[in-house]
Amino acid sequence: MSMNIFGAEATEEKAENARLSSFVGALALGDLVKSTLGPKGMNKILQSGSTGDITVTNDGATILKSIQLDNAAAKILVNISKVQDDEVGDGTTSVCVLAAELLREAEKLVAQRIHPQTIIEGYRIASAAALKALEKSAQDHSSDPTQFRQDLFNIARTTLSSKVLSQDKDYFANLAVDAVLRLKGSTDLEHIQIIKKAGGKLTDSYLDEGFILDKTIAVNSPKRLENAKILIANTSMDTDKIKVFGARLKVDSTGKLAELERAEREKMKAKVDAIAAHGINCFVNRQLIYNYPESLLAEKGIVVIEHADFEGVERLSLVTGGEIASTFDRPDLVKLGSCELIEEIMIGEDKLIKFSGVAAGEACTVVLRGSTNQMIDEAERSLHDALSVLSQTVKETRVVLGGGCAEMLMSCAVEEAARTVQGKKAIAAEAFSRALRQMPTILADNAGYDSSDLVAKLRAAHYDGQADAGLNMNEGIVGSMKELGVTESYKLKRQVVLSASEAAEMILRVDDILRATPRRREAV
Amino acid sequence: MEVRLSNMVAAKAISDAVRTSLGPRGMDKMIQTSKGEVIITNDGATILKSIQALHPAAKMLVDLSAAQDIEAGDGTTSVVVLAGSLLGAAEKMLQKGMHPTVIAESFLKASAKAVEYLEELSTPIDLKDKSALLRAATTSLNSKIVSQYSSTLAPIAVQAVTRLITPTSSNVDLRDIRIVKKVGGTIEDTELVEGVVLNQNVVVAAGGLTRIEKAKIGIIQFQLSAPKPDMDNTVIINDYRQMDKVIKEGRQYLLNICKKIKKANCNVLLIQKSILRDAVDDTSLTFLKRLNILVVKDVERDEIEFLSKSLGCKPIADIEAFTEDKLGYADLIEETNVNDIKVVRVTGVKNPGRTVSILATGSNSLVLEESERSLHDALCVVRCLVKKRALIAGGGAPEIHISRLLSQYAHTLKGMEAYCFQAYADALEVIPTTLAENAGLNPIAIVTELRNRHALGERNAGINVRKGLISNILEEDVVQPLLVSTSAIELSTETVCLLLKIDDYVQAR
Repeated sequence: MSMNIFGAEATEEKAENARLSSFVGALALGDLVKSTLGPKGMNKILQSGSTGDITVTNDGATILKSIQLDNAAAKILVNISKVQDDEVGDGTTSVCVLAAELLREAEKLVAQRIHPQTIIEGYRIASAAALKALEKSAQDHSSDPTQFRQDLFNIARTTLSSKVLSQDKDYFANLAVDAVLRLKGSTDLEHIQIIKKAGGKLTDSYLDEGFILDKTIAVNSPKRLENAKILIANTSMDTDKIKVFGARLKVDSTGKLAELERAEREKMKAKVDAIAAHGINCFVNRQLIYNYPESLLAEKGIVVIEHADFEGVERLSLVTGGEIASTFDRPDLVKLGSCELIEEIMIGEDKLIKFSGVAAGEACTVVLRGSTNQMIDEAERSLHDALSVLSQTVKETRVVLGGGCAEMLMSCAVEEAARTVQGKKAIAAEAFSRALRQMPTILADNAGYDSSDLVAKLRAAHYDGQADAGLNMNEGIVGSMKELGVTESYKLKRQVVLSASEAAEMILRVDDILRATPRRREAV
Repeated sequence: MEVRLSNMVAAKAISDAVRTSLGPRGMDKMIQTSKGEVIITNDGATILKSIQALHPAAKMLVDLSAAQDIEAGDGTTSVVVLAGSLLGAAEKMLQKGMHPTVIAESFLKASAKAVEYLEELSTPIDLKDKSALLRAATTSLNSKIVSQYSSTLAPIAVQAVTRLITPTSSNVDLRDIRIVKKVGGTIEDTELVEGVVLNQNVVVAAGGLTRIEKAKIGIIQFQLSAPKPDMDNTVIINDYRQMDKVIKEGRQYLLNICKKIKKANCNVLLIQKSILRDAVDDTSLTFLKRLNILVVKDVERDEIEFLSKSLGCKPIADIEAFTEDKLGYADLIEETNVNDIKVVRVTGVKNPGRTVSILATGSNSLVLEESERSLHDALCVVRCLVKKRALIAGGGAPEIHISRLLSQYAHTLKGMEAYCFQAYADALEVIPTTLAENAGLNPIAIVTELRNRHALGERNAGINVRKGLISNILEEDVVQPLLVSTSAIELSTETVCLLLKIDDYVQAR
């Protein structure tokens, strides 16, 4: 007699089935993003189901974030890619692809009747060996500023070369390095503001010191102000109202109504006087400023900027060092922001306000131009990746070689290590080394080169002792990555190997998938 | 591969849609918008904006045209036609099994080379050389519906922009040029006005004035109507006498305001529109009329900046702040009535800012709208020359020139790159071919002859559409700004490369 153990619609997949479904999900996802890997990787169009907006991207994290999934293992891969994005900002595709490759190898081993736990043990030995080899190959140039700058530049170039900006990678790599070096070691990318304006071409983009606000200066105010003392506020500048619903006034003549109106104006005037008492010459408000207070402020010679939205106000307060105020009774307690020059500039057809010489010297703005919105959005994502990798590298200064070099190095080291391992674990360790070797294979495949030939040559080169050999993607040959300047951050590579093997391990351990009853929704 | 092909089909469909509108003999399109309005235009950007493209690749071409509109303002059709042709070339190469990234990279290199050749071909100009500017504006206007009026519109565009620039300026804000549209008369009556033209008419409801000499103009942002605080309010009236009092007080209140305005010697009042209450009511209009003050109402908030800049006055937000120093002075403000067009003109402004007003007229609103768009394009062309002070020939001459040089250059290369350069060079010929097609000429005969002439060293030979033959296009005064061509090439190549690199299409949240 059969009994219902689970709820009506809950399902359970056991042992082989569960494993199969995780493998299938993870592999499908790996294959999806595989083609975006490397300098010759392809882009994807993401079309939103609800709004129909389109995004063109080859950023792994962005792709994975936006697709809908109904597979537990695939969701794990999406998660590690997200973590990679948060931790180092780049390598989001690599981590997902590597995890998928590890699982592909594991699938074969499972088919050979090797117990998942044995595979996991082998993977652990292998990843330890790989990380050791990676650490050994890492180089640190932080003591030498020019060399270090060169390293940063190379990392930025390598990161950007796999993105939409690849054509202008030198230009943008310099831009990114300049921006990050301004931060002086801080990893707070808030200080770098990115403004996107359609029109123009990618190389029309530039780095500007200071802060640019996408708003206009009010009609009456001067369009240029030196030595600005800025009060940043979030307050209503129409009338101060009692916020009680249904509050109303009862009067018996028009004259009294006029008096009331006058009283409201007087109140506003008092508020403006209070604001002016701060000794400022620039007033930025998050909310609208109505005509009347605006003209009063202008009369006092204060530059008025209204309707600077939340983000603008907060950034402004960050870079100018001012506080966001909402009451003005105690001028001595409010911290004012300051900058050397406020002026109106034109980008494309739009007028914007530029604050230069701001208190926080780290702050800078990148103005991105490009032919289509998709282009600019993708450029922003690429630049953001480069910036976050660079800012991480400033902290963890060690670098490794890219272009499949580090992967091949690790693969060889793992192979060496596998030889001394006893038992079935050795087979799993070898499988790990094969998975690592898949990375250069995919790189070559995406570029349309003969991958098996190239990777075999690359492996031979590494066994020959050329530790800096990698794939020269421009010419389709094996070359020295050191000479080509293809460099990646050590932290990034380490994180890729760590998270990928952890994720693979986690998925391998699963032998049962329980799916809870979907929550009932009210009929719409 | 399927995704790529579908992208190309969609993109080419868009480019084919606008292709026939290219050039002086291009056809116009009638567009019925979702609201049922009809637009007749041959401006590429306008057409594409109104097409509701669904396909992602098609949307990108629409964006491309918009980007060209921002960057150069003209050449919005060319840029899309060029992108379509480049995609066609890429498609052929893809089918031969070439890798898309190789094609994309070579295309980008080719475009950089093409821009180099163009710069070499261009002739620098001086902004004082009005006739050169005029020629460029005329060329742009010739390809529009209003082409027969290019002799009227081109000088207006040139004068408008040159009035705004200083010797050092590298950009012009077109918002400082205001085009006021009035239905009535013909396009020929379009004129550049000395002084300022208002969108609004004078209020004559209460027998108001329509002409004031020695005008003192005030722009007010407060309202001339019964007081209304921001709180909800009610006036409670208990008996008849009180009602009388309320009415009297209301009149008194308005009269006081009007008197204060008069006291400041103001005799022309521009009143900003208000959404909260009537900007001006009948009672106050009567008072103002009695005080001999001319009134214009319904001034939009975003017009205030332009008006205060061009009239040299400051907007006044409160009656207490109404003082004489905030007023602007003009010799004459007058509402004239020519050809049934009522226009308020302000002339002899004392402290004029750097602004220009253009009065555009047309027999119906369709023509008028198109005339405005064309004028805008012409203004952009002149602005391009301010941004990048160089001219090149028009009439397909530069395209043939770079196509020829690029294919020569391709012979010095080897491998896939050489093939891509050659394809890129061939794709550029789409511009002269389309020009010839649209003019009803035999495209093959014309383009081959053109190529031949260029090979013989006539760098400026182009298609003379008016006569239907090949001639030195510079002598025909067909010229265009360098920026229009270079930006068209750069932008379209950039977009094509982005499209080429797409290999998958994912449905996302």
